Amino acid sequence: MFSNAKNIIDIVKYRWVYMIVSLMLIIPSICAMGYLTMKTGSPLLVGIDFTGGTIIQYSVDKKLNNDDIAKIRADLTKAGIENPVIQVLSASSSADGEAKTNEFISVKTAFDGDKDSTKTSTVSTTIKNLYPEAELVQVSSVGPTLGKELMKNSCIAVLLAILGICAYLSLRFHVEYALIAIFTLVHDVLFVLGVFAFLGIFCNVHVDSLFITAVLTVLGFSVHDTIVVFDRVRENLKFAAKATTFNEVVDASVNQTLARSINTSITTLITLLALYFLGGVTTKDFVLAMILGIAVGTYSSIFFASVLLVFYNNIKDAKKMKSVNP
Amino acid sequence: MKNKILLFWAIMILVVGCIIVIMTKPTKLGLDLVGGSRLVLEAQTTNTIPKITSDHMDSLKFAIENRINAIGVAETVVQKQGDKRLIIEIPDVSDPEKAKEFLGETAELEFKRPVQNFDGTEGWESTGLTGKDLRKSLVSTNSQNGEWVVSLEFNDVGTKKFAKLTQELVGQPMAIFFNGELQSAPVIQEPIIGGHAQISGGQGGFEYEQAKNMVDLLNAGALPVPAKIIEENTVGPTLGADSIANSKVAGLVGLSFVMVFMIAYYRIPGIIADIALVIYSLIVFSVFKIIPVTLTLAGIAGFILSIGMAVDANILIFERTKEELRMGRTLFTAINLGFDRAFTSIFDSNMSTIITCTILYMLGTNVVKGFALTLAIGTIVSMFSAITVTKNFMHLLFGTGQLKHPGWFGLKAEEINSAYETDETKRENAKFGILD
Repeated sequence: MFSNAKNIIDIVKYRWVYMIVSLMLIIPSICAMGYLTMKTGSPLLVGIDFTGGTIIQYSVDKKLNNDDIAKIRADLTKAGIENPVIQVLSASSSADGEAKTNEFISVKTAFDGDKDSTKTSTVSTTIKNLYPEAELVQVSSVGPTLGKELMKNSCIAVLLAILGICAYLSLRFHVEYALIAIFTLVHDVLFVLGVFAFLGIFCNVHVDSLFITAVLTVLGFSVHDTIVVFDRVRENLKFAAKATTFNEVVDASVNQTLARSINTSITTLITLLALYFLGGVTTKDFVLAMILGIAVGTYSSIFFASVLLVFYNNIKDAKKMKSVNP
Repeated sequence: MKNKILLFWAIMILVVGCIIVIMTKPTKLGLDLVGGSRLVLEAQTTNTIPKITSDHMDSLKFAIENRINAIGVAETVVQKQGDKRLIIEIPDVSDPEKAKEFLGETAELEFKRPVQNFDGTEGWESTGLTGKDLRKSLVSTNSQNGEWVVSLEFNDVGTKKFAKLTQELVGQPMAIFFNGELQSAPVIQEPIIGGHAQISGGQGGFEYEQAKNMVDLLNAGALPVPAKIIEENTVGPTLGADSIANSKVAGLVGLSFVMVFMIAYYRIPGIIADIALVIYSLIVFSVFKIIPVTLTLAGIAGFILSIGMAVDANILIFERTKEELRMGRTLFTAINLGFDRAFTSIFDSNMSTIITCTILYMLGTNVVKGFALTLAIGTIVSMFSAITVTKNFMHLLFGTGQLKHPGWFGLKAEEINSAYETDETKRENAKFGILD
């Protein structure tokens, strides 16, 4: 059936290689998350959305250096703000037609929800004293109990989404296909989480509730990609001649869907890269998570899901052989 | 072929309809795009109110709405969330701090009498006369020293209570507490029976702002239960405008690159896909406006992602069609087979996206909800546009017969008839094939 097909990728032949590549993607990720868990108690550095706290952002027109930041910190501490965390973000804005570089000062303090607390106004006065032209761009404040609740709800949402997908795939395919799709999805999500754990360790990147959205998108995309390959396997198995082996079917299916897999990720990555480089500064991490997820999702649908399928089938065959010739 | 032409005109009418909707209906933009404050208030239980009921929440909502009207902000939305939370969205608020203070205040006015505590110290005791017994209050000035004062006018019950209380307290001080803070404690000279009273701000009097705030709060009514702000999100108008401008640029640049890629790789079908993509965007946008969906940054991200899914459907179909063409099928059959065989993939993968969106919409926070909604709408419309619009255009443009110019599909002449040889598949089987 597949005699005159020239396969671009040999999945079955190099299955161990692909397995090792996947492990090399996942194991460092798990290590980074383990390291952060030991250090901070959670596998990623989590932002105020989950821990509670207040972030106030101002835009200023001039470039800020480390001395400026130290000055801001000193003044804020003097004004009675405990342990302010100050970050400077640079962003290009194009709101008024011409591109200009804006600096954002972001001040993070404890939660400011009590009615008699005047943290936000204290911070504002202090910043305005230093930079009269500073403009308040964003305040977000989350109570500590709400943060915990959000974390819990997000975890429940992710688990339910996985269960829902699993149930649907079991209906439409076999249970083992559903399980492999879930493994693939976990592979992809672990990789994205791992990169953000590394970013947390080295660049102090914190994840927020938008990040959860990104992870859920990655999850959806991962399954999307895996399904396209599995759908082809399902179809090819149905119409394959009796003589073709399962491994041949998998190889052929992956190669038949290869152009689609790559083209789809190229088009999606184009839009995401445009968002990353031209979009707002607030969504940068969110878009980065999706870029990583879609890249790894494409890889895993080609090299991980199919390899697992082959492994699973080999084990099943071996068992069958055993039961036939004990 | 007649059906195809009819369908083409139906699509054209739909497109015109969408353009009319887009031109006439306004887009609802979220606070993160236009700027504004979003507050989440949580009702707090107290000793007297151990459980928050939906009645409490209704009257809390009413009181908060009253207060917002008092500040005079247009288009404010107050929504109940869950059992004990209110979401308040205030666009274009000039001073978020003030709004925040104003909303969180319980506005409890209480009149208290002096009492001897058990340990011998002096204290104050509630008299049962509170802000609930007021008819109205207003800011006025003290006729003697010109200081700002708050004038109170009691309702009938309040007038009686107040008269009785002042009778009992002649020669003694009576304290006025506002939100647990002692405002003043004048000594009662004679019984007051007219139902009018004044609160002076103690020594030095009130600032005008202070008195005005108090009056606004008293007139709006006390909160039935204490409420606390547990989440605040304020976006300045410049950041919002920036985000819109940036997203527009990013969206357009991304979209045009995708279009160029599709034409470069798929040639004439690529052009059809691009047209279908434009129609897809028009339909999605008019659906957003009809529902209406409030567009947030996350919502825009969801929409951009759904563009990816829409392109994917086209890619799947074209790849399959090219395969069928390589096998030497006629154009009409190849296009039909391409669509039918790609459909299972498109359907299953989109279903899993929709399942995820449904769960996110039910459980997610507002940010996540906006994302899930736009992605789900986009995904559903993308199935329609790929299957109806792209297919119809392909049939109309290519017609029937053999493929004479393989270059139209980005194929080479020698590729034809060189592909995998597969058995003929029954279309019905391929469409919803379940692995056996």
